[in-house]
Amino acid sequence: MSNSAISSSRSGRSYSAQLIRETFRRWGARIGLAWIGVLVVAAVFAPFIATSHPLLLSIDGELHSPVLQFLSPVDVILLVLFFSVLVLALLPLALRHKLLVLLTTLVAATLLSYTLIAPPQLTIYEQYRENITAGKYDWIINAPAPYSPKDYLRDMGDTGLEPPLASSERTHWFGTEENGADVLSRMVHASRIALGIGFVATGIAMLIGIIIGGLMGYFSGIADIIGMRLVEIFEAVPTLFLLLTFVAFFGRSLYIMMVIIGLTSWPGYARYIRAEFLRLRQQEFVQAAIACGLPLRSILFRHMLPNGVAPILVAASFGVASAILAEATLSFLGLGLVDDPSWGQMLNQAVQASTFNWWMAAFPGGAIFLTVFAYNLIGESLRDAFDPYLNKNS
Amino acid sequence: MLLQVNNLKTWLRSGGKQVKALDGVSFSINKGETFCLVGESGSGKSVTALSVIQLLPQDISSHPAGEILFDYRHDGGRIEQVDMLTLPEKRRREIRGARIAMIFQEPMTSLNPVFTVGDQIIEALQLHNPEMSYEQARQRTVEVLEQVQIKDAAQRINEYPHRLSGGQRQRVMIAMAMACEPDLLIADEPTTALDVTVQAEILLLMKRLQQRRGTSILFITHDFGVVSQMADRLAVMRKGKIVEEGPLRQVLSAPRHAYTRQLLNALPENLPRPTAPPPVSSDEAPLIDIRKLQVYFPIKKGVLRRTVDYVRAVDGIDMQIPEGQILALVGESGCGKTTLGHAILRLIEPTGGRIRFSGNTISGLARAELRPFRQQMQIIFQDPVSSLNLRLTIARTLTEPMAVHGIGANSAERLELARQTLAQVQLDPDFVWRYPHEFSGGQRQRIGIARALVLNPRFIVCDEVTSALDVSVQAEILQLLLELRRERNLTLLFITHNIGVVEYVSDEMAVMYGGRIVERGPTGDVCSQPRHEYTQRLLAAVPRVQL
Repeated sequence: MSNSAISSSRSGRSYSAQLIRETFRRWGARIGLAWIGVLVVAAVFAPFIATSHPLLLSIDGELHSPVLQFLSPVDVILLVLFFSVLVLALLPLALRHKLLVLLTTLVAATLLSYTLIAPPQLTIYEQYRENITAGKYDWIINAPAPYSPKDYLRDMGDTGLEPPLASSERTHWFGTEENGADVLSRMVHASRIALGIGFVATGIAMLIGIIIGGLMGYFSGIADIIGMRLVEIFEAVPTLFLLLTFVAFFGRSLYIMMVIIGLTSWPGYARYIRAEFLRLRQQEFVQAAIACGLPLRSILFRHMLPNGVAPILVAASFGVASAILAEATLSFLGLGLVDDPSWGQMLNQAVQASTFNWWMAAFPGGAIFLTVFAYNLIGESLRDAFDPYLNKNS
Repeated sequence: MLLQVNNLKTWLRSGGKQVKALDGVSFSINKGETFCLVGESGSGKSVTALSVIQLLPQDISSHPAGEILFDYRHDGGRIEQVDMLTLPEKRRREIRGARIAMIFQEPMTSLNPVFTVGDQIIEALQLHNPEMSYEQARQRTVEVLEQVQIKDAAQRINEYPHRLSGGQRQRVMIAMAMACEPDLLIADEPTTALDVTVQAEILLLMKRLQQRRGTSILFITHDFGVVSQMADRLAVMRKGKIVEEGPLRQVLSAPRHAYTRQLLNALPENLPRPTAPPPVSSDEAPLIDIRKLQVYFPIKKGVLRRTVDYVRAVDGIDMQIPEGQILALVGESGCGKTTLGHAILRLIEPTGGRIRFSGNTISGLARAELRPFRQQMQIIFQDPVSSLNLRLTIARTLTEPMAVHGIGANSAERLELARQTLAQVQLDPDFVWRYPHEFSGGQRQRIGIARALVLNPRFIVCDEVTSALDVSVQAEILQLLLELRRERNLTLLFITHNIGVVEYVSDEMAVMYGGRIVERGPTGDVCSQPRHEYTQRLLAAVPRVQL
């Protein structure tokens, strides 16, 4: 009796739409998503939020926008992607077509921006401040945080490791780091690395995990035995030490990090998918699909994968969090990227000098904590939404 | 009057909504009688039982009105009338198990797998009789196990539940319930998960124990056959209310309420027989021709997973089904009937033997070569919940196979065909845009039939298609299948364990036992004059509604 009541109230909606709704009815998921949203906006608009280049200025009545001049190809690609996702989300298209459009935009944007956009090689952040004091500009609009992440304020004298709002002539909301750069600006730009490493590493791991786990689960037998040994081998690899070794041999590269974290964390996903596929294979709708003579592709990807992907989504949101943590750990150990900002690397500076620099610990540490927490909240809510026994009572 | 339930209301909270599971139920049970509650799924039978013994989860249930008066016999023999609803939890626990005991439907999960059978009964005994020593309790346990006719009870007491069959487990459950000599035994569909032959033994056992002890039984079932075997009085439930109550004979032979009549008329044995089946010409080659079909499952042991033996699920079966015939395949669970059905469609690979479909040998064909035959051979499954892909609309589910087999010129035409097929299984054609979770069990089963029909098959395996359905829905589905057979000259292999359904639907029947077919013949002949010893046992065990 309760079943019919529930199904009538949910009529007309697809199963996945219903699950998404169910997930984001929970407060945890909403808070988590809000924080991730803030991060995404910060990452995409970083060159406009935190930069030494003025957004707009006027010299003798003529308008200039130095920030546009200094946009890098990566900045442009991210902007294009962000807006195409926004537009596509509003268009009534099938998911498959949306992905196709997105992929073409990505390729086109990459090709075009790398051929057409060439920002000036040399950037002199001091020039704007000098010009302002010299009174060359009629008026000027600065970014909300008017310092670039690599603007070490050489013209301002020794600015290293100042607590927040310590100086009367400059406003550093989160203080400065040891080289004199603005912490807020570096944090905004570091959100790109945090998001990127989380998504790309987890994406790689999910892709490998789904393919290998799916083959293991569907074909079982010999494929299962070989796949399982492969899973065990990769599970035995200690990710952090492998990362350290690679950094030692091949230098510091974000991409190597992403690939290695991805390559070592797929076994978990493979196990999940295998278990799901073993269960689904016996389900009657899969048997019915085989009896209808549907091709293997359709059975695997249309009938089995969408029904077995739920636990993997839960695992993925936890996986993103752990990838971010891995990068932060590496940077904290001083083995992350050299000059580019990263939260873990900033944490490292909190204890480097003889004094404890609380702002170097609190703000990047808080960001890491909030991000990992947000992903875990989303993962938790997803799991509850997928669990048929829990979601009845909430 | 042992138990008196007056105007009981039970409301359940589900997803923020109140559901009136019981809406003013009143009945009473006398000492030593069996009272049956009958109804379809969702009618509130089980909720009634759980309310009486107060086992509903308290956070989602409430009783806005009513009383459950039970004559609580104290150890000294003093009788006190208590209201289970207002009794404190501590005193309810004294009554539960000792004075009111319960047997559940699923024998596989109602015993704790980490304790031996004996320990579970001994624990219950000592809990309610604190003065009883371990030795005495053990002695008593052996006695009750003997009473439920478990052989070598003194040895079996040390066994873990997984070593026992379903029937034996249900006996242990009964032994556990009877150990403390309760005054009221609540049996919630105790034989539904069991084979008919086992069911007959368990029912007989319960009757004997009742006669010896004078226990009252509240028996919950959906099966009128079982009711007519067990009940002294019965009540028919519908949507949380009792619509009719009375002595067995009176209700079955002269039902007063329209719903009771409707339920009785929906029984397969009471359904109007369809017009005589079209004569099957015997000289024509059969549509399905099976020779020495074997399906063996290897049993692997040890580190190297060497095959030590085989489970012979299908052990060399010869079978022919002429075109247009409905052949019923009957047998108890585990006899291999489902495996045989799946092997014919090559959903399970046969280990040996030959399958011919309309003159073509299809055993041994590769995947791609088999595809044209897939169109002509379809299957309908037992479980309407798991047989549809929840992620796809009905339109997708129905048109995808058509596209693969090139039926219909374009997607618009295929959609039109899907709508026509839905209309044929008596569903609204506009249902194509819905998702499976929006439908009831019976509707889903119709969609399952529609999926089989869209490919215009000649042969359909119906694997227990009605056993998950209520009796009135079962009647509709059976009539629909017979009608479709007549329209399309379908050949059906009807796998079932329900003899009533077999008699109603099939032209011929085959009885399977231990992987082999032990008897085959026209349905009427086999049912009236069974030759094989197993068939005789099976037919004798079927609970019939005696009017």
